[in-house]
Amino acid sequence: MLYGPLGVSLAPYIRSSPTLSKLFTPVAKWYAGGSLYRQYGLLYDDLLIEERPEVQKALSRLTPREAYDRAFRIKRASQADVLHAPLPRDQWTKPEEDIRYLLPHVEAVEKETLERAKWDTLEVKRK
Amino acid sequence: MLASTRASVRLARRSFATAVDLAGIKLAAIDSNQPTVALTVLAKAGSRYQQKPGVAHALKNFAFKSTADRSALGTVRESELYGGVLSSTLTREHLALTAEFLRGDEEFFVKVLASVIASSKYYRHDYEELVLPAIQSEVNDLHRDPATLAVELAHALAFRNGLGASLFATAHTPVTATDVEQFAASAFAKGNFAHAFASSETRLRPEYRAHRVLRRGRTASSPTAARRPSSSASALLVCPPPELAALAAHLDPNPSVKWAKSASPILAGENISAQAVYLPYSDAALVGLLIQGPTAAGVREAGKAAVAALKGTSGVKAEELKSAVAKAKFRMAASADGRAGIIDVLGSKVLAGSSETSLDASIASLDKVTSTGFTKAVADLVKSKPTYVAIGDTQALPFADELGL
Repeated sequence: MLYGPLGVSLAPYIRSSPTLSKLFTPVAKWYAGGSLYRQYGLLYDDLLIEERPEVQKALSRLTPREAYDRAFRIKRASQADVLHAPLPRDQWTKPEEDIRYLLPHVEAVEKETLERAKWDTLEVKRK
Repeated sequence: MLASTRASVRLARRSFATAVDLAGIKLAAIDSNQPTVALTVLAKAGSRYQQKPGVAHALKNFAFKSTADRSALGTVRESELYGGVLSSTLTREHLALTAEFLRGDEEFFVKVLASVIASSKYYRHDYEELVLPAIQSEVNDLHRDPATLAVELAHALAFRNGLGASLFATAHTPVTATDVEQFAASAFAKGNFAHAFASSETRLRPEYRAHRVLRRGRTASSPTAARRPSSSASALLVCPPPELAALAAHLDPNPSVKWAKSASPILAGENISAQAVYLPYSDAALVGLLIQGPTAAGVREAGKAAVAALKGTSGVKAEELKSAVAKAKFRMAASADGRAGIIDVLGSKVLAGSSETSLDASIASLDKVTSTGFTKAVADLVKSKPTYVAIGDTQALPFADELGL
């Protein structure tokens, strides 16, 4: 696919500029809070589309504890969805708990894939 | 015989050029004018130094994985472009990381080895995806090879700790990537490793390959172990007595000429193979007999004959001893001929802080083996409690006392 498993993101550009990040941080916080996944006890990385080889490999690299917690969160959220109601407020994900636990793994796998492609298509020049 | 001794000594002397100590890092170089160069980093990180069972084996398989400079794949592909071979070898004493390459490619391969030592990333996913399967397959190989397994078990029985630690991890090893990282930090600490340059054509091989035999099936092995606890644990290079080398040479039934019959007191039968095992370490040695065959009954008979031969060795004739000494000398000199041997001999001496970089002293010590000394060494060996390992159909294989041990 064109943009890789993480999609297109302007975040690095916005983060690189102090003015832009000052402008966008409150909006981003409001948006994340408003997108309801935290009210169902999920983390942002639980929403990452997992039907891709890179993400599957990244998921296999989670520690057993991380994998267990992820499965638990997804099951709990599915049950809440069946009941058509968010979780009780004490079970909501706090903003500081919303860690990108899967992102570094996906990025590492993506880097490996790109590197493999680079080595596979390398043109060797004799000096 | 004198002439041949002199030749082998000269050969051993020619092999070793320089050994210097550069601010705690020991460096030895040999130039034998070959088109390929081997660069070995030898660390005192053999299985006898491991804190957790199997961690040395894991570190051996963790070599040439991700480093700060390049990934595991990058190391493989880039060294392929240069046409070099990277290998890691584990013995009970040392871990050797070797790069073999054409002359002129030194810069790249020195960088690879340096990054492996200085900046290896012991990633958990590298361990689980690349290292563990390699460990598993080597452990599977071990269990299909009764001779190696017997030698491993004999070490465990004879030495218990230290040298008794297996070269191999277990199938379900409790070692984690963090354990390997900690072990690597101690293994590659300054002063704990040496570099050796060599240029010759023989490939480095694990020492246990020497005991690999082709025949499989039911096997019994009866290595008789000489357990020699070290009097001074810190002092390395307490060479095992030369009498043991002579004994192993005397018992070894391999003839000098193919298809001929050797004069060894142990003669292997039709399908039964017997070999003398002599494994010297820095402070101890394991001497034994390894008997293998397709049927338990044949192995039992051969075992009985071998034990009788071992016990009868004390009455060795002067000329038999002479030829055994010559055989042992040749083996010692020949072991330092190949690249693997040079690195093994030179590296361990350099690591032990010895200024002597040839086998002269060890070979000369064999000259001093006398009939009385030999008889006494054999008598001590037979008197001490032997180590006995049987692998195969243990219902039918004999117990130690049934062989007369």
